Amino acid sequence: MAALETRECETEGCNSEAKLQCPTCIKLGIQGSYFCSQECFKGSWSTHKLLHKKAKDVVNCVEQDTNTDPWPGYRYTGKLRPHYPLTPKRPVPGSIQRPDYADHPMGMSESEQSLKGTSQIKILTNDEIEGMQTVCKLAREVLDIAALMVKPGVTTEEIDHAVHLACTARNCYPSPLNYYNFPKSCCTSVNEVICHGIPDRRALQEGDILNVDITVFHNGYHGDLNETFFVGEVDEGAKRLVQTTYECLMQAIDAVKPGVRYRELGNIIQKHAQASGFSVVRSYCGHGIHKLFHTAPNVPHYAKNKAVGVIKPGHVFTIEPMICEGGWQDETWPDGWTAVTRDGKRSAQFEHTLLVTETGCDILTRRLDDNGRAHFLSFM
Amino acid sequence: MDEEDCPELVPIEKTTDGPSSQIPVTIITGYLGAGKTTLLNYILTEQHSKRIAVILNEFGEGSALEKSLAVSQAGELYEEWLELRNGCLCCSVKDNGLKAIENLMEKKGKFDYILLETTGLADPGAVASMFWVDAELGSDVYLDGIVTVIDAKYTMQQLTEEKPDGLVNEATRQVALADLLIINKTDLVSEQELRKVRDTVGSINGLVRILETQKARVDLSQVLDLHSFDIKDVTRLSEKLQLVKSTHPHLDKSILTVTVEMPGDVSEDRLNLFIQDLLWEKNLKNKEGSPMHVIRLKGILSIEGKGQRVMLQGVHELYELEETPEAWGQEEPRVNRLVFIGRYLDRDILRAQFTTTLLNKEDSKT
Repeated sequence: MAALETRECETEGCNSEAKLQCPTCIKLGIQGSYFCSQECFKGSWSTHKLLHKKAKDVVNCVEQDTNTDPWPGYRYTGKLRPHYPLTPKRPVPGSIQRPDYADHPMGMSESEQSLKGTSQIKILTNDEIEGMQTVCKLAREVLDIAALMVKPGVTTEEIDHAVHLACTARNCYPSPLNYYNFPKSCCTSVNEVICHGIPDRRALQEGDILNVDITVFHNGYHGDLNETFFVGEVDEGAKRLVQTTYECLMQAIDAVKPGVRYRELGNIIQKHAQASGFSVVRSYCGHGIHKLFHTAPNVPHYAKNKAVGVIKPGHVFTIEPMICEGGWQDETWPDGWTAVTRDGKRSAQFEHTLLVTETGCDILTRRLDDNGRAHFLSFM
Repeated sequence: MDEEDCPELVPIEKTTDGPSSQIPVTIITGYLGAGKTTLLNYILTEQHSKRIAVILNEFGEGSALEKSLAVSQAGELYEEWLELRNGCLCCSVKDNGLKAIENLMEKKGKFDYILLETTGLADPGAVASMFWVDAELGSDVYLDGIVTVIDAKYTMQQLTEEKPDGLVNEATRQVALADLLIINKTDLVSEQELRKVRDTVGSINGLVRILETQKARVDLSQVLDLHSFDIKDVTRLSEKLQLVKSTHPHLDKSILTVTVEMPGDVSEDRLNLFIQDLLWEKNLKNKEGSPMHVIRLKGILSIEGKGQRVMLQGVHELYELEETPEAWGQEEPRVNRLVFIGRYLDRDILRAQFTTTLLNKEDSKT
């Protein structure tokens, strides 16, 4: 990661090294307003201030009392803003089996907490495997429904609503709901959001990339998957990012077989991402999943990690690389969930839940129609 | 709003600092009353020009929303708060406590040292794992070492206490994991009793450096900047490994230290399998059939194809092999030295297993 790159003054025609920044731009979240001196800045002030006006207009835009500035003073890393308020918590019919955290006031999972820190990986019995096969198929159905909704003008809350209904219709509890107090039934991550985006009132815009992460709980088991979609027409950079991310996941899956160390998967992913000039998010990793939403093993996606464990038949876990156009560093919004890239550049992700067999693995969350292709491939 | 007025430019905000400004975390453990707090206060007073964070009682089981820590600066002590509950505890690689510390430093500036005092019942290995993060994570902190303080008068009693279910007794584990052991309150015991303590702790942990103090007064250069988990300590480790000998248990069902020394080059692949079998699969058993349980592992190895000495570090199940800047000398015989600290260790079996990692004549033919 480079330290300080030398920057050039923004003023038209001026190529001097810039060591100063416009403070109003910082406040408004406008990137890269660098100038070499106050005089030079004053010279371009009449055109520069138009940037401020433009940004303020965007911020002040109030559609039906939408609040896009819930945390005054917070410096956003990119253009995305939350669009509050959120709709009230959606209820789940009482007949549907609930995970332990669903009714905990802080959304804590006692079952997960009791196993915290252990690296013992569960080997599933045939019955448990059947349970996982079923729930993963259902999770896939829900994602496919969400995929159909992705187009400009649709809000992420509308997608979340459809997801919520699709879950309950299949007798599933939407796993993210109330997990450590997460307020919605799925995660929707737009552009610079790496993961854990909260569905809100924001309408998708042409050119966005959107990841929808679905996890459902059925009959005591969780199934987890996600895909990144194009919203309308996207630029070449977005296509390259999404394609590479998908390849990272598939290459890692190809390597999964008994005897391989979990820590090896990160080497494969990072190698491929870096070859295309992209970086790998370090803070979030793949995880074991079955009766617990998140459990051992821990599967980092970056190279040279110290993950403990060797892949064995009967293990079930996810691989979910998050790949970025710029740097890998992340930060979290004041909502405590939304993870964004520090440099505001875009990030894509793909995820599958895998079952290890004697010779390799089964992709439990694979798509059953369209030859198993990820949705974005139809739009390349 | 006077947006018409041209504002004063401000200096460009620096982005992330390079890894060169990492902050050491020292874990201080020991039973209640041994003198940990006295040691901490002593460090804070002596190092009054530095900005030091002191965290008491390691992070709880996810129920706390916030945790207080004390910051000492310019002789003043004030309180700060770590926000622990930041959303997803699940698929996050870094421990919540670690992230909380990093966030705090980002907001309020970096510390020079971080001291983490754990409760008497804590497993310092688990706390160490929190901070022994992969270099690739580019964390602002690094694990410097584990300092255990024991009470010269009561430690024998604490070490011999039997636990139900044959679990390892905490006092013994704290000694086993120590990079530095401070035997405190030496003024309260006789020379004979002190010798007994020295011998007993030495039998548990053959690698640890031992300091003897009264009122926890130590030379701080021995306590801070230990670099016990990274390659900066390689020269000292090299020397230490040549001196350490296998120990015999002084106490029943005890933890002891086993050393293995063997010339030759090892195959990196087979070495990884050996360590995995030992630490993860726990396949290696002693002659009575009990699986060996390694708590701490350190070594310097000669790996086939590498001209630099390779350092091996392990705590519980975490381990790391890292090339050090020290090269093997041209004329120097390449000798692998490993030290294992743990329970049910059997030197003969460990030696035999380690031998399988060495390159033999068949390997060199390819």
